[in-house]
Amino acid sequence: MDFELDTDQQAILDAVGVLLAQYAGPGRAIDLAAGDAYDFDLDAALADAGFTQVAATRGTGPLEAALVTEAVAAAGGMVSFGAAALVATGLGAGDLPGPIAISEARPPGPVRFASHARTLLVLDRKADEARVVALEPGTCAAVRSSFGYPMGRVPDALARSGDALGGGSAARLACWWRLALAAEATGTMAACLDVTTRYLSQRRQFGQAIGSFQAVQHRLAELAIQIEASKWLAREAAFQGAPAEGVATAASYALAAAAQVFAETHQLSGAIGFTREHDLHVFSMRLQTLRIEHGGVGAHRRALSAERWGRA
Amino acid sequence: MEFGWADEDARHRDEILGFLDEVLPGDWEAISKHGPGSDQQAAFSRTFCGEMAARGWLTQHWPEAFGGRDASPWRHAVVGEEMWAIGEPRGAQYMNVNWIGPAIMHFGSDAQKAEHLPRISSGDVLWCQGFSEPEAGSDLAGLRTLAIRDGDDYVVNGTKIWTSYVDNADFIFLLVRTDPDSRRHKGVSVLLCPVDSPGVEVREIPSVVGARYFHEVFFSDARVPASCLLGPEGEGWNVVNYALQYERVGAARYARAARTLDRLAEIARERGLLSDPTVVERLAEARGVCEAARVLTYRVIDERAKGLPPSPHTQLARVAGTRSDTVVANLALDLLGAEAFEYGSYGDANFRLAMTAGVAVGATEVQLNLIASRFLGLPKL
Ligand SMILES: Cc1cc2nc3c(=O)[nH]c(=O)nc-3n(C[C@H](O)[C@H](O)[C@H](O)COP(=O)(O)OP(=O)(O)OC[C@H]3O[C@@H](n4cnc5c(N)ncnc54)[C@H](O)[C@@H]3O)c2cc1C
Repeated sequence: MDFELDTDQQAILDAVGVLLAQYAGPGRAIDLAAGDAYDFDLDAALADAGFTQVAATRGTGPLEAALVTEAVAAAGGMVSFGAAALVATGLGAGDLPGPIAISEARPPGPVRFASHARTLLVLDRKADEARVVALEPGTCAAVRSSFGYPMGRVPDALARSGDALGGGSAARLACWWRLALAAEATGTMAACLDVTTRYLSQRRQFGQAIGSFQAVQHRLAELAIQIEASKWLAREAAFQGAPAEGVATAASYALAAAAQVFAETHQLSGAIGFTREHDLHVFSMRLQTLRIEHGGVGAHRRALSAERWGRA
Repeated sequence: MEFGWADEDARHRDEILGFLDEVLPGDWEAISKHGPGSDQQAAFSRTFCGEMAARGWLTQHWPEAFGGRDASPWRHAVVGEEMWAIGEPRGAQYMNVNWIGPAIMHFGSDAQKAEHLPRISSGDVLWCQGFSEPEAGSDLAGLRTLAIRDGDDYVVNGTKIWTSYVDNADFIFLLVRTDPDSRRHKGVSVLLCPVDSPGVEVREIPSVVGARYFHEVFFSDARVPASCLLGPEGEGWNVVNYALQYERVGAARYARAARTLDRLAEIARERGLLSDPTVVERLAEARGVCEAARVLTYRVIDERAKGLPPSPHTQLARVAGTRSDTVVANLALDLLGAEAFEYGSYGDANFRLAMTAGVAVGATEVQLNLIASRFLGLPKL
């Protein structure tokens, strides 16, 4: 048991940090979002440096991939990194062409990154299989969305096509997807709290920094507890190789926290928090996407319960 | 960073579980439902801790020089989890081994070490904590109990309150003001005070939590030998801070909450409630809260194992631990319904044990203040 980064992990995060300083950050996310764009430069930089395959590289594994996923999310990177670095590698599906989008077999609405995707991973619970669908970018029509990521509509026929990954693949895809959501939510929530804490430390009303009022402090402290716990739960589940109970715990906990992080950081930021001129929305709106995807908190909770205590 | 258990610690958990199976009597649940302060549990703790001592486990985390085995904080955490989960059969003695003994090792005279440490490590002495006062709760530095040196004694006057376990205790780890002109953290000292000192009187404060939870301890010209002073006079605040850093995360509340939750899930299954998604989702929600507290606690144990100074992660873990108790206790009442109305029933006993979590050992709001300033770096008013 060791909660500190070892030197290799630190080196990885330092190197990722350099890339993210160049190719990410809320300002860049705001610019990209204006054109529903995908950050192909960041995607390529992460892939070229080997980070996308870090889980499948000797000496590193899913924990390192989760750490990078968290960092990319915390920097507002407009890339489908978790799907590539955790889900595709976790499935052992090889080095699939990115961007990668993940969809249910009957997607109930627009799918994150689908409009730019060259690979679609499909979770077909009924057929009990995961499928890989190769597609031309633009196959899925772009859908305008307020929720922080480029979105596309996956045609029904496309979601039903593809090459099956074989026995047990549905369960494995479900697990790695949950882990990716937990890691992304963790980084994204941390950014929401960070933006809000900094803003409230300097914004003054009634002659005081708003962040000095105890009523405000306690609410932020409550968020800090949940975000820290989410972080360690996700990292632990990653270290363990995405076991079903562990990822359902990490995802259900983090995504329940996400609702509170969204509500509280917006409430405490006042009107400016709703604008595109303030960084909060870059992260906060994404939290809603992460919260809803893959069945949402209720589905993660039911999965956790079934894993731990069995079904009725 | 990695999250695996060392083989030896994982094995030790199995050993402890086997040991509990072997030594806990069939009516342990009936004993434990009265709470750790009860006569039943106090008496049982002497037998039980003796058994642990015989196996070399009671103080295995102590240094070898004091009869321990230098076991790691992780090993100690395994023991803490399994003990608390089953209802803390060590009773009040968990405090002895966790922080009272270590404080005596660090600050005690040779005579004090010789008197107290062997008794603690043999599992046959009960201590209690005399910190809080009527006017000094969250703001402990407001304490007023005076101990004035008179020849070879201190003469103590004042009142301690909430003191758990005192009616069965042999000693009280007593925080007093030895300099009557001092204020706040200065001029404070610790006395290792025999509870049967003349002039010490104990009154139980009846409570809804259970029998023998709370007491007032009155000191009326109580004479305590000066040889009971722990550490230098006036340095009591340091002694307490040192002692309590051993108690950073305290009881493994999440372990008990998680155990209770598993049992509730079993009950839900027996009653056909697992087909109700509301029940299933609440069980899972509570499980998440317990797991959150566990990882935050492990974060603190890791710091401890590395010899790092206490950090605000302690406060995160504490509040999370409190939440796990509360969430599970409420769920237990909701699931068990009216049957929990009966005193001593599972839902009742569990609820009473959990209901004080947010206040005991430092109230939640004070922890949140510390998180805001030390963890988030928010400005002061
Ligand atoms: C089950 C149990 C066992 C105990 N056992 C012992 C024992 O053995 N020995 C011992 O010495 N003590 C013991 N205590 C006492 C315990 O340490 C105190 O109850 C605790 O420190 C809080 O003090 P208080 O009860 O006086 O509450 P107060 O200090 O009166 O607080 C009341 C409320 O005000 C809030 N508050 C206080 N200050 C602030 C602030 N600055 N900002 C915001 N909110 C604030 C608190 O959080 C709390 O919610 C025990 C308590 C309990 C519940």
